[in-house]
Formats: sequence, C-alpha cells, structure tokens
Amino acid sequence: MCDCKDEKGKALDAVLDEYGRDKGSLIGILQKTQDIYGYLPADVIYSVAAQTGTTPAKVMGVATFYTQFRLEPVGKYLIMLCKGTACHVNGSDRIEAAITNELGIQNGQTTEDGLFTLKNVACLGCCSLSPVMMINEETFGSLTPDKAVGILNDLRNRKEEQA
Amino acid sequence: MRVIVGEGSCGIAAGAGKVYSALEEILNGGASFELGITGCIGMCFLEPIVDIYDGEDLAARLVHVSAEDAERIAEAAQSGSFAGIRDLVIAEDDASFLSQQTRIALRNCGIIDPTDIESYKARGGYQALEKVLKTMTPEEVIEVIKVSGLAGRGGAGFPTWFKWNAARDSKGEEKFLICNADEGDPGAFMDRAVIESDPHNLIEGMLIGAYAIGASEAIVYVRAEYPLAIIRLENAIKQATEAGIIGDNIMGSGFSCKFRYMAGAGAFVCGEETALIESLEGKRGMPRLKPPFPAAAGYQMKPSNINNVETFANVAWIINNGGEAFAAMGTEGSKGTKVFALTGKVRSGGLVEIPMGATLRHVIFDIGGGIRNDKKIKAVQMGGPSGGCIPESLLNTVIDYKALSATGAIMGSGGMVVMDETTCMVGMARFFLDFTSKESCGKCVHCRIGTRRMLEILTRIVEGNGQEGDIELLEELCNAIKDGALCGLGQTAPNPVLTTIKYFRDEYEAHIIRKQCPAKECVNLLRYHINPEKCKGCTMCAKKCPVQAISGEVKNPHEINQNLCIKCGQCITLCKFDAITAE
Amino acid sequence: MSEIRIIIDGKECIGNQGDTILQIAEKNGVYIPTLCNDESVAHYGACGVCLVEGEGLPKLMRSCSTVVSDGWVLHTDSERVLKARKVALELLMSDHDGDCKGPCSLTCPAGTDCMAYVKEISKGNYHEAVRIIKDKFPLPASIGCVCPHPCEKECRRQYVEAPVSIAYLKRFAGMRDLEKDTWTPEIAPDTGKKVAIIGGGPAGLTAAYHLRVKGHAVTIYDAMDKMGGMLRYGIPEYRLPKEILDAEVKLIEDLGVVMKNGVRIGEDMTFEEIRSSADATILAIGAWESAKIGCAGEDAEGVIGAIEFLRRNITGDPYDIGDNVAVVGGGNAAMDACRSAIRLGAKNVHIIYRRTRDEMPADDEEIEESMEEGVAYDFLTNPVQIVSENGHVKEIKLQVMELGAPDASGRRSPIPIDGQFVVLPVDTVISAIGQRINAKGLDVELNQKGVIVVEEDTFRTNLRDVFGVGDAVHNKTGIAIEAIGDAVRASEVVDSFLKGELKPFKAPFVSIRKDMEKVKAELADREKVMRIQVPKRPAEERKHDFKDIVIQLTDEEVQNEAKRCLECGCHDYGECNLIKCANCQEICPDRLRGEYHPGFVETKLVTIERNQKKCIMCSLCVRTCDEVAQQGILGLVGRGFTTVIKPEFNDPATIAVCKDCHKCADICPTGALKIIG
Repeated sequence: MCDCKDEKGKALDAVLDEYGRDKGSLIGILQKTQDIYGYLPADVIYSVAAQTGTTPAKVMGVATFYTQFRLEPVGKYLIMLCKGTACHVNGSDRIEAAITNELGIQNGQTTEDGLFTLKNVACLGCCSLSPVMMINEETFGSLTPDKAVGILNDLRNRKEEQA
Repeated sequence: MRVIVGEGSCGIAAGAGKVYSALEEILNGGASFELGITGCIGMCFLEPIVDIYDGEDLAARLVHVSAEDAERIAEAAQSGSFAGIRDLVIAEDDASFLSQQTRIALRNCGIIDPTDIESYKARGGYQALEKVLKTMTPEEVIEVIKVSGLAGRGGAGFPTWFKWNAARDSKGEEKFLICNADEGDPGAFMDRAVIESDPHNLIEGMLIGAYAIGASEAIVYVRAEYPLAIIRLENAIKQATEAGIIGDNIMGSGFSCKFRYMAGAGAFVCGEETALIESLEGKRGMPRLKPPFPAAAGYQMKPSNINNVETFANVAWIINNGGEAFAAMGTEGSKGTKVFALTGKVRSGGLVEIPMGATLRHVIFDIGGGIRNDKKIKAVQMGGPSGGCIPESLLNTVIDYKALSATGAIMGSGGMVVMDETTCMVGMARFFLDFTSKESCGKCVHCRIGTRRMLEILTRIVEGNGQEGDIELLEELCNAIKDGALCGLGQTAPNPVLTTIKYFRDEYEAHIIRKQCPAKECVNLLRYHINPEKCKGCTMCAKKCPVQAISGEVKNPHEINQNLCIKCGQCITLCKFDAITAE
Repeated sequence: MSEIRIIIDGKECIGNQGDTILQIAEKNGVYIPTLCNDESVAHYGACGVCLVEGEGLPKLMRSCSTVVSDGWVLHTDSERVLKARKVALELLMSDHDGDCKGPCSLTCPAGTDCMAYVKEISKGNYHEAVRIIKDKFPLPASIGCVCPHPCEKECRRQYVEAPVSIAYLKRFAGMRDLEKDTWTPEIAPDTGKKVAIIGGGPAGLTAAYHLRVKGHAVTIYDAMDKMGGMLRYGIPEYRLPKEILDAEVKLIEDLGVVMKNGVRIGEDMTFEEIRSSADATILAIGAWESAKIGCAGEDAEGVIGAIEFLRRNITGDPYDIGDNVAVVGGGNAAMDACRSAIRLGAKNVHIIYRRTRDEMPADDEEIEESMEEGVAYDFLTNPVQIVSENGHVKEIKLQVMELGAPDASGRRSPIPIDGQFVVLPVDTVISAIGQRINAKGLDVELNQKGVIVVEEDTFRTNLRDVFGVGDAVHNKTGIAIEAIGDAVRASEVVDSFLKGELKPFKAPFVSIRKDMEKVKAELADREKVMRIQVPKRPAEERKHDFKDIVIQLTDEEVQNEAKRCLECGCHDYGECNLIKCANCQEICPDRLRGEYHPGFVETKLVTIERNQKKCIMCSLCVRTCDEVAQQGILGLVGRGFTTVIKPEFNDPATIAVCKDCHKCADICPTGALKIIG
C-alpha cells in the first residue's frame, strides 16, 4: 500500500474524529471525505458506515440522494453549468450544446483525458450574469457559446503550459 | 479616501477579484488610499462596482470596472479629483435602481465589510440583540414581531410570531432554531446576498429568535452551491463567538445559545422544512408526514422553529425601530418590505427591496428599466418551481401574498424572472417540470411519477409530438398531484403548468395542433432559412456551422440543408446581414 | 382512552382517541385502500392511495397517518378523492413493469392459469394442476387433446427457441388425474335455485359445472344420446378418445348435475317447459349445420356437410365415400374430415382451399399430419360447379385463383384467374367451410344470420332469465375453448342473477408489460432447451384406424418440458395488494404510459429474488428491514424517479448479514420480492 493512501486514511480518521463518529453528521463527514478523495470510493463508504455505526445501505442512500456527492472520480476541472431559470431564459441550453460539442461529453461525463467533467446544476445564484457556469469554484458569467469554448481552451492551455 | 470593491459572488464572477488585486498591487506599491471590500449592493447589471468613500460619504460609485481601470481609480482616490474616471461613474438612470428602493433586510448590503464584525457594529449591529436580552422578555419579543406583521419570507407567508409562539409553548428541555438558507429556487439569490454581504444581521436575527422561543442552539442550513456565503458565515460565527455574542451567557444576560451551520449537499427538496430536518440529521432529505409539525417535534424530534434568511434579516431592524414602523409599510395583509431577485430579460437585473403593495409593473419597468433590447414583455415568473407565470395583462397586480396567489403564482422566496416575446411558455413549463422531476425526492407517487409524466407530456409537446387531449390530461394530472403529493414541493409542482395553461393556452394549442412555437424557441418546430436577397455570401455561417449544414459559393447566396441542420442558432447570431431567419 | 365517533361514507364509526383514519375504518369494517402502510412499521405516506376527504377540511388527508378528531365527516369516495386516487394508481401502474399473468393465460379464451398448472406439472403435482385448470373448466384432458392452443402462440419461450407444449401438458395431467385419486371440487350448500342448460357441449358442461359447484341445481338437456356436443360428435376418435370424454363427463354428473339426453326442443319438450322449470336457462346449443358451398350442383347425392359426415362416423353409421374425396375448406373441421376420409379407406383425398397454406386457419400440426397420411392439397382453387352423373357427383370443377393485394385487415384476398379451371374426379364432396346455427324451437331473438342475440357483458338474451353461450351466440364459429370461455364468464353472471342482482362480467384490470423488445432482450442469453416433440404413431400405421395417434410421454419428459416455462406471470398475483387496489376503481394507465424507472432482477439476498421493475417504492421492505428485523440491509439508492431499492451494494458480506427472515418479502405489497429457496 502506498503512503498516499495512508495519508488519506489518516485524514479520514481526523474527519471522523471531528464529527465524533456521529451518524447524524453523515452529510458533513461525506463532504469532507469527498474533499479528501475527490469522490466517495466504495470501500470508504463501508468504512464510514462501520465507523459511524450505520449500514452501508444507509450511507449509500445519502450519498446518492444529494447531487454534490460523486461515486466516481471527476476530471481536473469540474464544470458546473447553471440550469437555473434566468440562465434558461438567457440561453443556457446553447451553452450546454457548445460545451458538449467542444468536449465530446454529455452531462455527468468526464473527458477521456480526465481534464473536464460536465455537471448541470440547479441555480448558482448568479442570475444577473446568466448564463453562468462555475469551474472549480470560479464563476464565469454572461456566457456565449464562443466565450464558453474560449474558457475551456484557456484551461486546456494552462494544463499544457504546466506540462 | 476609501476605495471599496463590491465582492459578492456576482461581482467576483464579473471580475471584482481582479479589480481588487490590481488596486492592492498599487497600494502595496506605496499609494495612499484605503482599500476594502463590501458585499453585494444588488445592482448586478453594473458589476463589478467600486465605491469611493470620502469619510462616511459616498463620493463616487463606479460601475463596469475592470482591472485596467485600477490605475485611474487609485489616482482619483488619492487626488480627490474624479475627472479621470468620469466615464466609470454610474449613470443617473442606473442610480435610480437603488434610490427607488426601501432597504431593511438589505440595509447593510454593499455598504459594510461583511468580513468584519466591527463594520456591522458601526451601523448599529447587535444593539437589537442587546436590547432584547437586557430589557425584554421572550413574550415581549414575540409581541413586537406580532405587531410588525412579519410573515415568512420563504414563500408560504406564515406569520412569524405564530411559529415562534408555537415553538415557545411547545414542551421540551431542548429546542432548536433553524435558519433555512437552502435557497433552491432557480432564479432567487437574495438569501445568498444577505449571507455574503451581511452575515451578522442573520446571526443577530437568529439569536433574537432563539431567545424568543427558548432555543439552546441555532443552526443555519445553507446551500452547498454558495461557497462564498459559507466562508463569510463561518467567519462571522467565529467573530461573534469571540465577541461573546454566541455561546454561554451572551452579553452577560444569562441567555446561552450555541450556533453552527451545516452545508447542504445539493437537494432542492431540503428547502421543505421537514426534509431539511431529515437532512440536518444526516439522512436522505425526504419530507416527513405532518403532523407532527416541527414546532412540536422537529430536529431530533425536539421542538424546532424554522425561518428563512430574509425573515431573520428583518428581525433586528424591527426590534430597533418597533413593530409599528414595519407594519406601517405594505398592504392590509402583507407588511413590511420584500426582496426580489429581478432577472431574465429585464434591462437592469439585481436585488430589489420595496415595500409590499407596489405593483409588478413598478418593479419591472420603473426599477428594472423595462425589457432589454426594446422587446415586448410577455410574462413574469414568480415563486420559482412552486410559482407561476403572470402575464403582461396582470402586471398591475400588487405585491401582496393574497393578490399574487389569486393569479395562480405565489409570492415565493422572491425570484422574479422576466420573460419577453422570445420565451416559449410551454418550454418554460417544461423547464420547471424538468427541475421538479429531477429534484423530487421520490417518496410519494404523485410527485415521483407524476412530475415525470408531466415532463414527458410537455417534452412531447415542445418536440412537436403533442396529441389532442394533452392539455386536458396535464390539467387532470396537475389537480391530482396538488391534492395527492406529500409535501409542498410536490403540491406546488403543477403551478408552472397550470398558470401557463391558464394564461397561454393558445401557445400550447399552437404547439399541439399547428406544430408551431410562437416564440420560435422550440428547435424541433423551427426551420432555419437564408434569405437569398439578403445573403451576401460572406461564408461566415458556413464556416461556423458545427454540422456543415450550410453550403454556397463565395459572394453567392448560401443554403441550409434541413436534414443536417441541428438548429443550434449559431448562424443567426453570426449573420451580419440579418439574412437568416427561423420560422 | 376516550371514545370518539366519526362518520365515514355515511357510516358511523367508533374508535379511540389517537386512532388514525385507517385504524378507525378498519375497526368498523370500512375498506380504504393503501399500499405503503403496515402497522408493524412507522407511517410513511408514500402511496397516496389512502387519501380521504373531510367535510370542512381544505386538504385531502392520508388516512394512514392522520389522527382523527371527534365528529369528523369523511368520504373515501368523493369525486376529488376518486380523481386523486385514480391518478395515483394510474401513475403506479404506468411505472410497474411487470406482468400479472403470463401471455398464455391472457390469451386463453377461458383465462386458464397456464403458468400455474404448468408449474405444478413440473413438480409432478398433477392433481393440483387439474384443480387449477378446473378453476376455469371441467374438461382438462379432453381439451388438452383437442385444443388448438392459442396460449402456445403467445408463449414467450418462443423468443428463446420454441413455445412450451402447454396443451399436451394439460392433456397429460388431466389423464393422470383420471387414473386415480381424481380431484373433485367442493360443492357449495344448495341454494334452492334451478338452472336449465340446453346443450351439453363444452360450453354447456362448463356452465353446468360452475353453477353446480356454486350450489345450484343444474339440469342439462341435450338432443344427442350422450353429452359432449361437438367434442363427441365432431372430433374424431383418433384426436379425442371418447373414454377420456366419458370419464370427464361422468365426473360432472357425479357432482349432481342432472343430464337428460335425447331431448329435442320442440319435439320432446318445448322451450317454455324447460324455461319454466328453472330460475335461469342457458342456451348452449352450438352450431350444428354445415354451411353450403354455394356452387352449382351441390344438391347432388355425394355432397355432404363435414358436421354430418363426422357425426355419422362417430355414431357408427359411416357415410359411403368411395375412392375420391374432395374436402372443401381450410379449417380444423376440414382437417377432421379429410383425415377421417383417409381412415375410411378413400384412396385420393383432396383439400380444396382458395388461398394458400399460409392463410389456412387449421392447426399447422394437423396440416402436417394430414399430409403425412396422404391428403393432397389443391391450394388456390375454388369450386364453381359440381358435376353429377345419375344424380351422384362425378367431378368437381375448380376455378384457379391467385392472391390479390392485401385488404384492410392485411389479408390477401383470392381472386379468380380468368379462364383457368381444373376438374377433379370425385365420389364425395365434403363441405367444411363453416357452420350454421339451428335455433329451432327456441323462442329468443336471433340476428339475420340466425345467431342468438345476447348482451355482450351479461350473455343475456332478450328474455330476462335466458342466457346464451358458445357458438350459438357468435357470428363466427369458434373453437371449444372459446365456447368454454363464454361459459366461464356467463356462469358468474348467472350466479349473480340467481342471487338476486345481475352483475355484468368485467375483466379484471391486469398489469401487462408493454415493451416487447425489452422482454426479448432479457431472454437473449437464456440457455436453449428444445421443446419436446410429442410422439405420434407412424402415419402408415395410424391412417388405417381411428385409435389415438398420440403416444404418451414419460413423467420425466413431461416434467422437464414443464420446467421450460419462463414463469412470465407474477407469483404474487392473487395476493398482490397493488393489483387489488388497481381494481378498486376504473383506471386507464395507458394514457400515462412513459418511461419505466430503471431496474433489473437480482438475487443478492440469499433466498430472495428482487425484481426492481415491479417495485413501487413503498419502502415497506426497507422499513421492515430497519425497524422490525433491525438489519438495515436494504436502502433507497438515488433520488426521484430513478430511485431504486438495493441491499448493501456490491457487498459480499450481505449474505452473512441477511438472516433470511423473509420479512421484506412477506410485507412487499406486490411481486417485487420473491422467496426462491
């Protein structure tokens, strides 16, 4: 077993300690667990269930109820495309079409290179800037299809530069 | 002078962060002005916004600022001469967006530094709490709230004092006061703005409420999609705890109250109070059967009171100014002010707080500046997925719980999405049903399967496969779901469908019978066409068409292959000669 | 506890403080349907089926969880309640991807529960199989011999390789049951009501059986010497050995049914005499006359109807047919006629049929076997003239036909080819192109074709106490099992009539899977097991006698064949609360047809098969596992429409955790959970 796994395991222990291994704090525990792993791996769900005195079925129930939780790893950039009312009225469907066209993925999917994951979300609350998307907590507003594609290209280039 | 950058989520998205960094760099380079931040002033259409204060006075409000403007702004702030930034100063028309408002819940937003408790205190913050703790009994607090006529701002409009009183009367050692900050209505963002811009106001209102009902713990359930609000709330809780405002023996009064927040994890239904409680308990957010009501058995089956952010944001003001002052505003049945998130096809979108009793037309045209691009208004959507679309003919309806309900819409939490002639009303209903069906928790049959079936019917209508009888079928489903669904989400899910059928039945019929979309929005019912008279053969559209459906020789009229066309609309946007039309 | 009184649907109900509406209703015998409630677990409120309306109360209430207040006036059947409940049930059924009954059973005109009896046969429980069959009709072995088995045509096993041999299995079970320990039904106490049945064929016998079982005194009047009708006088011995029929008729007689043979209406007794002797009369006279060919010269000697021809053979008075026989027609009567002619020694037997083999209504197997026995087929020919010599047929002139364009029904009509004829030398022409009804002496309303007119869902004639079933009430002659189907339904109606309130027959609502492509895909990787071939005596041997042509299979072979059944129907039908509720008011889920929630069948819990496609998300299993079994193995996964119930996902340890208590399967209101071990 590699060290990194141990480190993550320790971090998980710390999270469980922080919440007193209380199943009433399951959502908070899972949020922080996801911060550690990037998603919720099956064995971790088991471990959380055992440690909080509940069953895997119950943890799985919570993990699949809330859209924030992911059971699969996501790309480096998580594109959260707002599908709120204002964004809808101002053409978010076209932004989605441009993104899916550019990246070749549909909502919920990750690009093969592991760079982008597209996720449609309910309102991000930036309605005045609609249409809006949020990429790793950075918000981009007043999008047009071209602008959205431009932002993706910038991120792609950023990665290439780093490489 | 002080240079204050508006750093709400919208401002940051528009580039406020970069503006701030640029100014900070100049400041670090030895310039002499003060730099600070504030929250959201609510004029989202002008973001990023930078205010220059001379002492306590606003000397200039600059709009649509970019990082490149930083030098000029710094220069002006140091010299006191604004000649170099005249082009950035807000136009008079735009300034009237704010001047026509009456701000109570938003009174500090965009003015104070939300990250600094002192900034809040400087505007009278926590004086109401002190007054309550030191001079009033819980019953007196409830009486003041009763006199104010404050009603739940989350949507239902239930009298706040009544809920507080019920929770107070409920037997139990331990009670909880919960703030519903799971602002899930797409198109509403006033709660986010309050938490981001004035978190202490929320904390103060909640502590007053906690005192009134006798709660020993106050909890904010806040949407996970609001990362900045969470950061600012967390910071504010820390500061208030350090200042002895949260915790044991607050302000030496003997009243103790713990305070924490919990981030939601992405489920609209958690805005329903019993689902929120389930979620707080670490479970799937599935609504409980009522009764028992939360006032009797809520969080951990103990007496609990739940109000939304805006409700609490009014409380400190009411204590300071008296219930009568609040009740002096508004209509017979709806007191005080209401905050709206004005968005959509309106020219000036943002946060609008006005006394109840104003007309919708006043909000949209006088404050919001009317419709963008001189198009014609068709309707305004209020109340999000639980609300409805109010047509242009009813824009003189006043803002009042009863009056709005009479239209088939609801006051709701305050989302107000304006739609013009290019918005398809069937598409709008479909949009909301798509939302509610995805957000349905899946517990009760009427909502789980019913919203799905409504979505399927609406989808076939917008795709041109509507059948005669679909409208009646939708109506029948709507009525049964209203009656049969378990919680508020399901019971109100039919509203967007019912109101659009009520006011825009002709649009439904056009889709179903004539297979036409009058708003020209439903792509399956459209055909794109190039007018050979107007086309100059610039080849722009052909180059950009993602599916190579456009062909033609240079300088000759082009044509669209209807079999290939995916109706993405890019060509229309691109064409400089208005040669392409959708029919 | 203090007593409270409320009114539900006008009935005063008494209960205790703290009772829910459902509890108080139950105590007072008022039925309120519910699907997600059980007293062993906490209220949940998911199904929305138990909604009731209270006078002066704004919202509909869930009776499972609403605690009553004294003095409430409630309605379980107000328009508003019925509408909300209707939609709830329609929504549930529109998302319930399961079959209540197998397509075999749904196709069987008598509604026989084929899947259930085939399952019993697979276990060697022949008497139990017969009990299940006799729930519908009293002639399993006889019908097993003769039935053209529409059930097999719909059998889904054909998507794997070939249908299950349902008809043969029935014959086998029926015969085994007759050998010893024959199953007999319980007879209800005498009702004092009398039923007269005119006609002792399959329909008459079936009606007699059911009405006798229900306790009525039944008398059958029949013109022939023995009971059995067309089964006896129309079906040759080689297909249905009469000792089988005799045994089954005797069982009916043993139940106390009075059988009066040799009674001709209008000759031996009048219709009025019979009618006035009973409280209800059922006409089951069949269709006993052959239709005319409709060509010149058919009045000649040597031209005979198939019905008369077959009857004379069977009654020991065979018709002298000569060497050359032409049988006109393509149905099963034509088959019986041509194969009988072969057995009587004719050298050349021709089937004259104006279409092609593909259009022939006769059973494929019959056509095949007749060919083996030497019958020649003249397809696309139609008699235009029968030529006689000395008053006796000599030859038959046939118009040559071709198939034209398909008509509205998709069937290609034959059209004559101008000028093309063939001539066939014949000694006998047997007309097998249809049957006619002879309702002589029956003073009831007939239509233009001479068919007895009955009301569709009550089987009642124009006379209030006279009913009609079988071939006599249909414009087109049917098969035995269709006549039996009439009798099954009509006996329920007649029973209700005798009890004082005539209730029209209404087919129960059942869930039927609509997406056949999905069904086929699910069967794609089934292991193929060949259908058993029922052995027949060699053609060369059998064509010389009228003895049974079938060679009995062994028990093992039969049971293995029965095991091929895919069990398409639901194990829970009969106890299913969902279908019970779905039948408590008129619903039409088809109008809400849409996507089904995702789901598949799996057996992760040790001895429980979970079919998510049938799950209605009432969550009773989850709650039982949590609250009663205290295991927490089951959970809801996902949200909204796509939610499914799963045991601990991909967990090998589930096997160790699940205690096999079966509480989840026991409480499931529908057939989503099935105990398999």
